[in-house]
Amino acid sequence: MKTKFKQIFEKLYAQKDKLWLVIWLGGLLLVWGWNLLFLNRPALQRIETGFINSFMIALLVLVFSLALSWITVNSLLLPHRWLRTLFVFLLNILRSIPQIVGILFGYVGITLLLQQGKLQSTFTVLVLMAIVVSLFVFQELVDLMRERVRHFHKSDFYQAMLVRGIAESRIINYDILWMNSRVHIFNKLIAIFGVAIFLQCSVDFIISIGLSTTLSSIDLPVTLGTLLANIDSKQDILAIGNSLMHPSYISKIFFEHLQGVTVAFLIVFSLLSIYKIANGFTERFKL
Amino acid sequence: MNRHFQIEIKTGSRTLAAIDDYPIAGGAITFIFGESGIGKSLLAKAVYGLLDPAALSVEINGASYQKYLKSRLLKNMKKEGFFVFQEPSSHLNPLLKLGEQLSEGSLKDAGDGQGILRHLFDTKDDTYLQSLLDIYPLPYRPSGGEKQRLLLTMAFKRLNEYLKSDIPADNSLFVFDEPSGSLDDQTRNRFIRLLINIFYRKPFTCLFITHDYSIIGEIFRHYRELLPFIRFKELVRSEAGLLMRDFAPTDYLDWLKNTRAVKDKPTQLKGQKNQNLITIRNPFRVYDHDFYFHKPDKPDEPKPFRLNRGEMVYLKAPSGLGKTTLAKIIMGLQRAQKLDMILLGKKINENTPPAFWRREIWGKKAGMVFQHADEALNLQATVGSVFDGLPLKRKLNTKDKIDLLNTLFRGEVSANFLGKRIGLLSGGQKQRLNLLPTLALDTDLIVLDEPLNGLDFASIKKIIAIIRSKQSEGKGLLLISHNEEIFDSLVSREHIYRLNVYDATS
Repeated sequence: MKTKFKQIFEKLYAQKDKLWLVIWLGGLLLVWGWNLLFLNRPALQRIETGFINSFMIALLVLVFSLALSWITVNSLLLPHRWLRTLFVFLLNILRSIPQIVGILFGYVGITLLLQQGKLQSTFTVLVLMAIVVSLFVFQELVDLMRERVRHFHKSDFYQAMLVRGIAESRIINYDILWMNSRVHIFNKLIAIFGVAIFLQCSVDFIISIGLSTTLSSIDLPVTLGTLLANIDSKQDILAIGNSLMHPSYISKIFFEHLQGVTVAFLIVFSLLSIYKIANGFTERFKL
Repeated sequence: MNRHFQIEIKTGSRTLAAIDDYPIAGGAITFIFGESGIGKSLLAKAVYGLLDPAALSVEINGASYQKYLKSRLLKNMKKEGFFVFQEPSSHLNPLLKLGEQLSEGSLKDAGDGQGILRHLFDTKDDTYLQSLLDIYPLPYRPSGGEKQRLLLTMAFKRLNEYLKSDIPADNSLFVFDEPSGSLDDQTRNRFIRLLINIFYRKPFTCLFITHDYSIIGEIFRHYRELLPFIRFKELVRSEAGLLMRDFAPTDYLDWLKNTRAVKDKPTQLKGQKNQNLITIRNPFRVYDHDFYFHKPDKPDEPKPFRLNRGEMVYLKAPSGLGKTTLAKIIMGLQRAQKLDMILLGKKINENTPPAFWRREIWGKKAGMVFQHADEALNLQATVGSVFDGLPLKRKLNTKDKIDLLNTLFRGEVSANFLGKRIGLLSGGQKQRLNLLPTLALDTDLIVLDEPLNGLDFASIKKIIAIIRSKQSEGKGLLLISHNEEIFDSLVSREHIYRLNVYDATS
């Protein structure tokens, strides 16, 4: 039993991505357990909702980014050159917009729809938020996919399949992207997952900070970013600063300022873990 | 004296090569044939003490490799021996000039090797040789053939030293791993002549690993009296593992004698119009060079290249001249700067858009087999998936795929073979697999670039039989191969062309 446990630990230690996944999930579980014991129910419920919404959006971003990238890469197969050029031109315009600015404008659009009462369900809003984020991050995946296609385009295997009469769409989608690049794509998706959380938290924080709770951001679903911008959370964060000057205050942070500290921890710890997972994955598959 | 080795090479739990009896005949030249990737080089390296005991788990005659590396037997063999690597680039130090490498280490006192170089390069031009020796090895220069000849020069310098020594033949070991892979037939024959001349003066122990069965013809034509000192072996897979069995050279020679060109056109084609598949007028230009075709014995008489239905045309040219480039031009994969070609009844020139081939040619009227199976196959894909996506009249089911595989893999196609990753196949298996999808297509024109690369004799016979059956079905075949002896025999003289390049000054 002891040897088996040792073997599992050694395997995990050698595969840093899996190790960090375990650390991340373990950390989340630990924080949740602690909050269950020491945080009041309404605050805990807000954190749970914010966490689920944030990660739901990030997961949806992955789905939309993958779909958008796949469509984009396949647009290279469009029969007319002018169509391909137009597509690339539109992509480049999108690429020229800074991510944060683009997402902010996207949120403005969502808020307008909310004000007009066109969006009733929270899930629809989450989906729209994910689409907005995806529009400004998916090109990273497109670049990777196009790079992989370009790499194999020069190879004999691409040409050998072409002259056998195999459709170019099959060569690109199955032989290059699926058989030879899925590990690379998955690795990029891990990174995009991290980027989606970071961008979402940043934008939600920007649009929520300093505003009364009765204004604006209440229309959008609660996320970790909006929770961090919430007045209570800010006070909790300030308490951390206070504890630096008054070390005796540290013990109170984990009991009396739990909401803000938890939200800040969830964001930072998740981003760090995702970064480590991506690095470990790169190392494991020698990408 | 014969030595016998029991060898097992593993990485982790995976056995890379295992053989119960790997014989080395002392004072004799042993030719070892066998398909690519079966383990010929690995076993020879194990015997010569070249494997890394930290990376691989190796056992020789039941003892650990570390023990073997320290053995007197190995020390003696290496003292007067040499190992010519299959891939010359891996043997050469990129940070040392070629001339310096020729006199490095134990070769320092073995003369300058100028005579050997002159013989192998077939030149008396010492200025040219010096210009070659003054350069650092790069991936593109010297060429593969030049690198190979330089390595052979090192081996011959070592052999000259061996001639002067009193070391018995049994104690020497010279290993030549695919020494003629990048050489044309003439240069290969010069190399063999030199090797055998030295052997006449003083026999030595030699392992000669090769896929080139036409060496047998050369030996039987010119060095028949040496046959008592020559062994022909073939490394094959058996149920019990690898097996080094005797190869009967007469099997090859008799088969070659019976492989005569089919002069008559298939009956169903007689009297038919539009039999021409390809006509290329001279010259065509690519990479700023003008190329032309001629009959092998008439280099001054350019002749248009023609390939008709039911014909097999063999295209010859020195390595690196542009045979594969021409095949790619015909198949629309590469654009020529100047081209006047009629392909399956359509007039083609340098401005013909690639869409033409996509729309009308690829997989429908013509198919091509690329020369390097390792590069032409998707190594991540599975064996069964190479037949997916082919433009056939109906989708192949598992049974169809197994039937197709059985044409070249008889006895190897088990239930899980279809699901095996191509990257895990041996080189010879990959080459056989590389041929099958194109041969499964019903195209009028088939271009085969080095179809016999890395194959064993049994597979060569099968491939040639398939090629001939395609010809008898009325298909046109363009063959590109360095294996001149086989294709000279298979293709009638009027269908053999030589590709040449116009001298820039002319």
